[in-house]
Amino acid sequence: MSTETAKGLRQPKRANEKLFRTLGIEPVPDEKKVEEAIRHLDDFRNKLRSFVVTMENCVKCGLCADNCHTYLGTKDPNNIPAGRADLIRKAYKRYFTPQGKLFGPLVGAEELTLETLEKWYSYFYQCSECRRCSHTCPFGLDTAEITMVGRQILFWLGIGPQLHTATAGAILKTGNHMGLTKAGIIDTLEFLAEEIEEDRNGLKVEFPTDKPDSDILYIPSSADFMLNPNTLKGAGMFFKWVGANWTMSSRITEAGNFGYLMDQTRIQREMVTRLYEECTTLGIKKIVWGECGHGWRAAKMYVASYSDLPGVAKIPMTHIHDEVAALIESGQLDLDPTRNSQKITLHDPCNYVRACGLCDQMRVIMRAVTSDFVEMTPNRERNFCCGGGSGVLFDDPAMYEYRILASNKKAEQVRETEAEVLCAPCSICKAQLYPMVKEHKLPVEVVGLIDLVGHALVFPEE
Amino acid sequence: MEQFVGQIMPYFTVAIFLGGVTWRLWRWMIPRIMHNITLSPFPGTWTAAVTWWVWQIAIFWNILKFDRALWIGAFPFHAALIAIIAGHAMGIYTLGLQFHMIAPLLVSADLSVWLSDLLGTTMGLVFLVAVLYLLYRRFTVEKVRAISSTSDFLHLFLLLTIAGLGNYMRLVPDAHTTYLEARTFMAGLFTFNPVALPQNAFFMWHFFFVQCLMIIFPFSKLMHVFGFFWMRWMVNRPFKEWAPGMPGAKVQVTK
Repeated sequence: MSTETAKGLRQPKRANEKLFRTLGIEPVPDEKKVEEAIRHLDDFRNKLRSFVVTMENCVKCGLCADNCHTYLGTKDPNNIPAGRADLIRKAYKRYFTPQGKLFGPLVGAEELTLETLEKWYSYFYQCSECRRCSHTCPFGLDTAEITMVGRQILFWLGIGPQLHTATAGAILKTGNHMGLTKAGIIDTLEFLAEEIEEDRNGLKVEFPTDKPDSDILYIPSSADFMLNPNTLKGAGMFFKWVGANWTMSSRITEAGNFGYLMDQTRIQREMVTRLYEECTTLGIKKIVWGECGHGWRAAKMYVASYSDLPGVAKIPMTHIHDEVAALIESGQLDLDPTRNSQKITLHDPCNYVRACGLCDQMRVIMRAVTSDFVEMTPNRERNFCCGGGSGVLFDDPAMYEYRILASNKKAEQVRETEAEVLCAPCSICKAQLYPMVKEHKLPVEVVGLIDLVGHALVFPEE
Repeated sequence: MEQFVGQIMPYFTVAIFLGGVTWRLWRWMIPRIMHNITLSPFPGTWTAAVTWWVWQIAIFWNILKFDRALWIGAFPFHAALIAIIAGHAMGIYTLGLQFHMIAPLLVSADLSVWLSDLLGTTMGLVFLVAVLYLLYRRFTVEKVRAISSTSDFLHLFLLLTIAGLGNYMRLVPDAHTTYLEARTFMAGLFTFNPVALPQNAFFMWHFFFVQCLMIIFPFSKLMHVFGFFWMRWMVNRPFKEWAPGMPGAKVQVTK
C-alpha cells in the first residue's frame, strides 16, 4: 500500500509479508483487499451476533467519547468508540443494509476503500479493547468486538503490526511471547531461586518446570521472566508457602494470548489446545493463571468456546489472585503488611474488572499485604485503561507518542492519589506504565500484586 | 392525497413496520453468540441480570452516571415519548376516560378528561423541549456532531415536526381535533372500513409523518428499542465461576 494514503495516520510498524507467510497467511494484493475485506465482513455478519447487534444499534449519543481514554488523550473523532466502529459500520451499511444501498451517505453509508483499510489499521490498533465503552454504553454495545473483527480481517489480508505478528509467531515456536527456550526458562528460574535465597535469609523456593504428576499448572506471563521477575518470585513463594504440588509448562509459559489480540482463530486456538494437552500429559488437576489481563480473559471466558478437546470444561481454572484472596479470607496465610508500608494505589486492569469479575479479590489482597492502601478514582469496573491494553505497546516514535497520550488519564488518576507505589497486576499494564511513569514524571514505582504477596509472606524458616 | 394518507397508506405502513421489525430481529438471530462476553461484575442469577436491565431502562442509569448533560435530554425525551404513545392509545380509545375506568371511585369522568388533557399537553411540551435540546446538542457538541450522519439529524427533525404539529393541534383551538373524531377515524382503519380523515390539515400531516417514522423505523437506529435487549442478553448474564482451592496443597481454604 502506498505511504501517501497513510499520511496523517498514526500506524505501527508493519510486519513484512515473509512473516505473515510463516503464519500461514498469504498477504492479499492491494487490488483484491477491499473485495476480500467485504467478503470477511459478510462472514462475520452471519456468524457473530455481538458484531451485528453492535453494528446496527448505535444511536450516536456520544456518551462513549469522554469515557474512552484514547479519545480523551488524542481528541481524534475516529477514537470515539462509536466513531471507530463507524469505520466498519459505514461499509456495513453500504453493503448489507437496504437503507445504505438506497440512500448511501445520507444514512452514513460509504464504499469501502483502501484508504479506509488504512484507517482501520491505524485506529483498531489504537483501541485497547478495554471495554469501558461497553460498560458505559446505555445498551452495552461492545466496541471491543468491532476492534477484534477489524484486527482479524486485517490479519487475514496480511496487515498487522510487527509487534503483534512477531509475538504471535514466537508463541507457535516457543510457547511464549518472549521467544524463551526451555533452557533459557530453566536458567532464569534457577537465577530467581538464588535471588530469593539471598534476599530472604536462605529461603529455598523451587520453580518446577514440566514436572509430571503435578496437581497445579501455573501459567506465568512470559514477561515475568524478564521485565517483572518479582511477580514470578512472588508466585513461587506463595506456592511454597501453601505446599502446592505445582509446575509450569515450557510449552505454554505464557499467560497472555496475542492470538486473542489479532488472530482469534488459528493462533488463539493453538494456545488453548496446548493448554489442555499439557494438562493431560502432566496430570494436572487445576490451572492457576498468572498476572495478565487480556490473557486471563482469553482463558477464563474464551477457552470453553475455543477448544476442540472435550476435557476443557472439566479442568477447573482460577486466577492466582482468586487463590490468594480465598486463603487470606479464611485466615490461612501469615502476612506482614508492614513490609509494604509505602503509600500504594491499585490500577484495575480492564480485563480483570470488566470481563473477568476479578475485583474484590485484589482489594482483599491489597489490604492484607500493604499497610497504606489508597484507591484511585474512578476505580473497579469504572477504571480507565493504562493506555497499553491489547498489546498497544509500540516503540516506533508516532505510536510511542500515542501511548503516552493515551495514558494521560491514567497519569492524572495516579497523581491525584499521591501514592509512592503503583500496583498494576497485569503484564501489559506494567509494560505500559513503566514508560508512562517516566514520561509523565510521576514519582511512583510500578509493581505487581503477587510481588507484594511474596514480599509480605512470613516463612517460619526465614 | 387525503384519501391516500388516511385510507391506503396506513395499511402499507403497518405492513412495512411489522414486516421490517420481524425481518431485522430474524437477522439478529441468525449469527450466534460465539463467546462468553459477559461484562463483570457478573450478576449472580438471571433474576439479578433482568433486574439490572430493567433498572437501566427505568432510569437510564448508565447515562445518568456517565453523562449527566445527555441524561437531562434523553430521559425526559423517552419518558415523555412513552407517555405520549400510551396517552394516544388510551385517550383516543376511551375518549379521555382512562383514569375514570382505572379508578372509578377516585376519578370522576370529567376529572379523567381533564387529567388526560393536562398530561397530554404537558408531555407534548416536555417532548418538544427535549427534542430541541437533543438537536441543539447534536449540532453544538463537537464529539456528538463528529459521529453524526445526516440521518441522525433528520430523525430528530422528523420527531420535531410530529411533536410540533401535535402540540399545535392541542394548543390552538382552531386546529383542534376531538378524541371522538380521531377514534372514529382509527376505528375505521382497525376494522378495515377506512373512513375519511377528520377535516384538519394538521391532523393529516401529523398522521402522515408518524407513518413516515414507522416506515423508517425498521431500517434505522430506531431499532435500538429492541437492540437494548439483544445486547444486554449477551453482556449482562450470570456466569458461574470455579471455586478457589488448590487440590493437593497442604494449606486449604476453610469455609
